[in-house]
Amino acid sequence: MTGARHAAGITALVVGLLVYPFLDRALGFQTVHAVSDGMIYVLLALGLNIVVGYAGLLDLGYAAFFAIGAYAMGLLNSPVLGSPLYGHPWSFWLCIWIAAAVSALLGVAIGAPTLRVRGDYLAIITLGFGEIIPVAIRNLGDITIDIGGWRLVDRLNLTGGENGVNPVGRPYLPGVPFETDPTPWYFLILVVGLGSLWAMTRLRDSRLGRAWMAIREDETAADCTGVNPVSTKLLAFALGASFSGFAGSIYAAKLQAITPGAFEFQVSIMLLCMVVLGGAGSLRGVILGGMLITVFDRVVLSQSTFLVRALGRATGLPLLATIDLTLWRWFFFGLGLVLVMLLRPQGLAGRRERVLVVRDEDDTLAAEPVAPPARTEAIPAWLRERSAEAAAGTPLLEVRGLARRFEGIVAVNEVDLLVPRAAIIGLIGPNGAGKTTFFNVVTGLIRPDGGSITFEGASLVGLRPNAIVARGVARTFQSIRLFPHMTVLENVLVGEHCRLAATVPGAVLRPPSVRAEEVRARERARALLAFVGLADKDGDDARNLPYGDQRRLEIARALATEPKLLLLDEPTAGMNPNETERLTELIGLLRRELALSVLLIEHDMEVVMRISDRITVLDYGTRIAEGTPAEIQRHPRVIEAYLGTGYEPAAR
Amino acid sequence: MLELADVHAYYGNIRALRGLSLTVERGEIVTLIGANGAGKTTTLRTILGTVRARRGSVTFDGRRLDGLATDRIVRLGIAQSPEGRRIFPRMTVLENLELGAFARVDRDGIAADLERVFGLFPRLRERVAQKGGTLSGGEQQMLAIGRALMARPGLLLLDEPSMGLSPILVETIFRIVQDINRQGTTILLVEQNARMALQVAHRGYVLQTGRIVLQDAAAALLRSDLVRKTYLGEK
Repeated sequence: MTGARHAAGITALVVGLLVYPFLDRALGFQTVHAVSDGMIYVLLALGLNIVVGYAGLLDLGYAAFFAIGAYAMGLLNSPVLGSPLYGHPWSFWLCIWIAAAVSALLGVAIGAPTLRVRGDYLAIITLGFGEIIPVAIRNLGDITIDIGGWRLVDRLNLTGGENGVNPVGRPYLPGVPFETDPTPWYFLILVVGLGSLWAMTRLRDSRLGRAWMAIREDETAADCTGVNPVSTKLLAFALGASFSGFAGSIYAAKLQAITPGAFEFQVSIMLLCMVVLGGAGSLRGVILGGMLITVFDRVVLSQSTFLVRALGRATGLPLLATIDLTLWRWFFFGLGLVLVMLLRPQGLAGRRERVLVVRDEDDTLAAEPVAPPARTEAIPAWLRERSAEAAAGTPLLEVRGLARRFEGIVAVNEVDLLVPRAAIIGLIGPNGAGKTTFFNVVTGLIRPDGGSITFEGASLVGLRPNAIVARGVARTFQSIRLFPHMTVLENVLVGEHCRLAATVPGAVLRPPSVRAEEVRARERARALLAFVGLADKDGDDARNLPYGDQRRLEIARALATEPKLLLLDEPTAGMNPNETERLTELIGLLRRELALSVLLIEHDMEVVMRISDRITVLDYGTRIAEGTPAEIQRHPRVIEAYLGTGYEPAAR
Repeated sequence: MLELADVHAYYGNIRALRGLSLTVERGEIVTLIGANGAGKTTTLRTILGTVRARRGSVTFDGRRLDGLATDRIVRLGIAQSPEGRRIFPRMTVLENLELGAFARVDRDGIAADLERVFGLFPRLRERVAQKGGTLSGGEQQMLAIGRALMARPGLLLLDEPSMGLSPILVETIFRIVQDINRQGTTILLVEQNARMALQVAHRGYVLQTGRIVLQDAAAALLRSDLVRKTYLGEK
């Protein structure tokens, strides 16, 4: 029984953690101190994992937040800087929260200017920030501001400068010897660490965690699925920083002294090493990586120095006899990192590939299994309920005189287009005619140079893509853009993001309302997957699905945002006739049963002519024709530019 | 010219090809049809060496390809127009096309082939200085095919060349396939548009879950019940 073994493993771990410091004392190892320090670094690495592992934002200056947490504690709880809080028994317990809050605020402040950059650029900015903080701390130890002979600030010691802050107030609990014994520190850090881990696990499994991962996987697709990239990234920065605020403040109080040297660039790199070594995005991996590196740094290097020196004396090699391996720590870290990247790039505990095996028995010559036909009964009840609200009347989408140019090329030129409620409108035209650009402008990915876009009476111009999704416009992409390393179910759940409400406290504490919301979200997602014929694949990674399934998953994800208007960009491209047939039925069903409007870019003329109510034809960005399918098929300019003489209208 | 014998290939633990064997004779157009996920693209990747066969052999003009690096294989005269328009997005249209001829040294021939590509796709000439990534999806598809032609390969692998192209261009593409075949290029064609593919091909293979289940002359496959029901969508 894996369940029983799992429970036994947890029990053994808990007992081990509880017994360890007493066992250590009994045996005289005296490692509790070092292990506690290691746990602080593990907590830091876990905070960094939110930024790097979940949200995919490479942060090379994370130690700055560690410094901010430590100095927040130092400034508030040290006699050196004359804090009024110092000496009160409750002050440590207060300061630890203030430190976390200050770090979170600075996380937002640092995050804000980096929001528009990714990858290399973001890494460089965080690198700069990581350098700025220790320098600022060093130079804010003696501030004099002199304005025209009037001393505004006279030799203010804000940070302790190069000398640092010493002492820092200890925590106080009646009867607990924080002054003399490392054991209480061990338990304090253990409690804070486990609490943080618990909170992180819950965040990861909430709508917020899914939003982080969606941003990491594909920011544009996430934006177009209703995830606000700005607030999502800021939240990752803020939460990542707040955990390091805890770690920093405990570090300051435990060490009793802080100096700027403890927060240099190397610390950021070491933390990054822990995350990468263990496996970015895996909590277990980060803990493992953090422990391995700490033990290596604190124990293995110093112990092996003794060994190598003894060996050197025995063999008479002076080089070995005087070596100090601890001076080589960065060499070993670097080497270890290179080896991990070469041998196991996903990290020690990184997610393993799911095993999928092609069934062997179906050797008989048979028709391919095809997707189940779209059935009216399979439409999720909740989608149906929602559609009842849609009222008839004005057109759903009204586009007037839309224009967009790229470096002198007119991609969209004064285009008008109307989408009534419960209508399917085809948008066709030669390759490069501006159809996808039109979609991108309507969904907010590109700003128009002119014209108006009105959806349900309100303008969409200037709104961000996620805000447009929230209004009820969903889309799919020509070259499918799923979240490849998330499961099929998670992909659909990200679609529901903008309809869910859980905030950080809600996600962590899970009150009944959040619990119910999450259960309902999963039910809805499963119902949608069943509707598009992916019911049995909800646990697969999206990237492992065959092409046709990926197309259907993308449509399910779009439907999960509860749209009133669905924009489909070549949904049947790359599908075989059977799959195309199924998808065509599905689109028709959405309109017929749910009163959903569809704007459709498609090159398969059988599909377009069969299900469109009206068709707009673009060529070189300009509308060259508009009308019913029958009119379009006979339109000479459309035949010349698009259909070709080989196309024969189906006799229907 | 090309022979795959009992090829097995995997993606991680996922078995994609299960003992696939096929041959392409010089001067032929051979098409590979099958559902999504049947292993068509994997077959092309195995020929080019971007996916390694774990068992079996790939032979081209009597030389074993399995084990050779992809750039060596391309130099032997095989070029591919990959599915999903894998063009170089930050290079211009012209640079993309010139890179297709990277392994060639015959300047005059390259210039002539460039003209030929522009003749086939006038739209690419209009966009010659534009970055590949700013082209529309269909234009990128033209560029991918044009780039493969620039290698002037003995064997051309085409992966879904008609995908995302307007009806008028789909016709053009299949006419081009026949034209370049008549000019001496052997073609292995993977297509979802099975009807068009079988109309231009000499022979065809039907692939299901990683192995060949049917092979015949293209005209015969067009008449086969299985093909008509499953891949042509006839009732």
